[in-house]
Amino acid sequence: MIPVKDELMDLSDLGMSEEELFSPVSHDQFDSEKITAPRYSYWKSVFRVFFRNKLNIFALALLAIVIAFAYIYPQVTHYDPMANIMDASAKHLSPKQAIDKFGLSTHTILGTGAAGQSTFDAVWYGSQISLSLAFICAAINMTIGILLGAVWGFSKKVDMFMTMVYQIIANVPGILVMAVMVMLFTAGFWTMVFAMTVTGWLGLAYFIRTQVLIIRDREYNVASRCLGTPILRLTVKNILPFMTSVIMLLLAEEVPSYISYEVFLSYIGFSMGTKTISLGRLIEMTQSSMLVPGWKLEFWSPVILASIITLVLYLVGQNLGDASDPRTHL
Amino acid sequence: MKKFILKRIIGGLLSIIAVVAIVMILIYSLMDRQLIFQSDSLYMKKLSNEKTLYMYTKWEEYGYVDLVNYSDYMMALLRDGTITEEEFNSTNYPRNGKVTSEKTKEFVQKFKDYYSGKGYVIMELEADMMSSGRKIKTGGAARLFAYRDIPVYQRLLKYFKSIFFSDNIHYVPEEDDIGERKLTFTWNDPIYTVYNEDGTVASKKFSPAILGNGTKHKYLFYFDKQFPYVHQNFLTLNLGKSYAVNSGVDVWETMTMAQGTFYMQELTYPSGLREETADDLHTAVYQKGSLETNLVYSERYTDDYTNTQTAKTGRSKVGYSFIIGILATLLAYSLGLPLGIWMALRKGKLVDKLGTAYNIFILAVPSLAYIFMFKAIGTTVFKLPRVFDMDVNSKLMYILPIVSLALPSVAGLMKWLRRYMVDQMNSDYVKFARSGGLSEGEIFRKHILKNAMIPIIHGIPGSILGALVGAIITERVYSVPGAGNLLTNAIGVYDNGVIVGLTMFYATLSVVGLLLGDILMAVADPRISFDTKER
Repeated sequence: MIPVKDELMDLSDLGMSEEELFSPVSHDQFDSEKITAPRYSYWKSVFRVFFRNKLNIFALALLAIVIAFAYIYPQVTHYDPMANIMDASAKHLSPKQAIDKFGLSTHTILGTGAAGQSTFDAVWYGSQISLSLAFICAAINMTIGILLGAVWGFSKKVDMFMTMVYQIIANVPGILVMAVMVMLFTAGFWTMVFAMTVTGWLGLAYFIRTQVLIIRDREYNVASRCLGTPILRLTVKNILPFMTSVIMLLLAEEVPSYISYEVFLSYIGFSMGTKTISLGRLIEMTQSSMLVPGWKLEFWSPVILASIITLVLYLVGQNLGDASDPRTHL
Repeated sequence: MKKFILKRIIGGLLSIIAVVAIVMILIYSLMDRQLIFQSDSLYMKKLSNEKTLYMYTKWEEYGYVDLVNYSDYMMALLRDGTITEEEFNSTNYPRNGKVTSEKTKEFVQKFKDYYSGKGYVIMELEADMMSSGRKIKTGGAARLFAYRDIPVYQRLLKYFKSIFFSDNIHYVPEEDDIGERKLTFTWNDPIYTVYNEDGTVASKKFSPAILGNGTKHKYLFYFDKQFPYVHQNFLTLNLGKSYAVNSGVDVWETMTMAQGTFYMQELTYPSGLREETADDLHTAVYQKGSLETNLVYSERYTDDYTNTQTAKTGRSKVGYSFIIGILATLLAYSLGLPLGIWMALRKGKLVDKLGTAYNIFILAVPSLAYIFMFKAIGTTVFKLPRVFDMDVNSKLMYILPIVSLALPSVAGLMKWLRRYMVDQMNSDYVKFARSGGLSEGEIFRKHILKNAMIPIIHGIPGSILGALVGAIITERVYSVPGAGNLLTNAIGVYDNGVIVGLTMFYATLSVVGLLLGDILMAVADPRISFDTKER
């Protein structure tokens, strides 16, 4: 836009003398070589953008509280689901009844369940397992998925083969893979991790492959290839840094999805065994309580906690992903 | 285009075969065979050698092994005339396992040589004696048999060979005397014909049908009152047999068989007897020698086509799933598309923000959790029926499952349509059209919406076919007797036949859905062409 004359600055406003404003500067060879741009640190900018939004601070704080509670609370309190099994008067108590019976403590504020166990303790115990499962599975799947996906997108030979494999594996029902794994090994935490990761990385790798395909033939990569950079180095050094924000967004969807998937699997009967009480298993065990007036809290507590955890994880991840896109740093 | 479709079909078939092969490896080679006996009460009762033999017989039934008993072998020899009846009777394998007669020894040796030469494992179970040493324990009689694990490729070949069954008049074995083998066409279905007491026809109904003799099904073509009203049995799908979920019944039939209470109607049996019955006479299947075995049959039937299904009032598993699924899809598209457009038009405004919040909710919160929330709201606020009941003929019970299925898909549709539309709005051709003087409405209708809809169109066939599969959680939460839980149930009881059959069905649906989506997209958008460019 061409500035209108009125908008031009009047130099007399600055209160400087003509000499001050227009004095010749000595030419310095050394200074002229300096590039002066504002100092830019990638991660600092990411967090600056991230914390600009008040909602993010709130979500992050909530996430920190939930994670801290899930990992610390079961450590400091002893939780035995069968402790009150013989006491018929301790079963299915509402918070009020529980407080009357056992006194006000963290154990009683959500009432008790079918075996007289504390609902509050149970949900935190369950969320510790669900969270651990989600973090471990996400870590394994993301690592394998990103590395293999990058190579898959880069090499045309690998692409032909892997696309075929993907189309076949994607049609094998996931529940079946799950069931076979549970049969092969006894049901438990690590079996679940294995079952979720044995084919789980494939979908991620396919997503990354598509992303890589988009930037594979950009000029800087063509140049790099012409100079003889090996494919592995090309992917790790040239392509992966380009995709930080995409990967963050993916992570935001992945971590909660494992919690949801575990809830789903437990509900249809593929749990981590009877000893490992996850959030999904809690929901499955208490679903009949949903219909009984007065027992509803037993069922809704794990459902709501699972929802809060997944929602907060998703929000934080999503907004961190947005913030890690350099285009938002301006 | 033709070449492309052909290529895709071949590719699809190959991937279906590969999927079935993988599933077969998973369930037949990786899973423990012993597991199928977990809930088998008969297995618990069997003792000693009989138990072992029972195991192998079951494994043969479930398709793990190929089993040949010594007696089967001798029977086969007798049948093709190698040995006489006398020889057959004198060469039985002795109960105590001690082969004394020379003749028997010779045949036992022959049996062993023949089958070990063919790669079978010979199992010789010694008699299980009581501690006194004289009497044989219950079920402890000596046994001789040979078995062989069926390799995956053979199983696969057999499965795909028999996947389509085309009925013909030579289906009934040639040695069975059933009169003239033929197909007859009639304008008046005999089932609806009413006879007087003296045998003269009282009334007829116009209903064309083709009847067969010598075929598997008696009725090869007929009309009736059930969806889809016209039925044929010339070519039937054979996805394998169910063992545990629906013992002995074909997987396809398990999915498509009507459920619920019996539906009584007045029909005329082949013998002329008219009766109120729940038998669905159109489904009569040949069963050898059945006419003589049952007195009731001889009163009603005139031939061995006596094996009928019963007519029920409810829909089939797939029927329920499809009704709910298709209505949910319709609802999802009719809500999701306008909402997506609205969000795109008011980008950054309140509607857009609310929609995004809803998307995040659906995407992040476990599906089980929000389905329970929908259920809680639906039953308390709107007073809708909580569970599905086949015998109650109320349309209201469909509402909650449909809504629970539709609302999550609305989120997906909204999200993607908004994304595509926003992308189109920022593109250069829209700016050009605007500078060319087109009105905003015109640009929107003729350019943006048309282009943004193309990827959405691609998903339509997939979601319609997907309705056949059913929904696992929704059907469980509302106890809908649909197809969604078939697979999980089959896995639960180790019903290999159903698992393989269903996987094959699902894989086919997904391949067909993708192909139809591509074709539909090409039809909707003339710029998309699958022809190889001639240059």
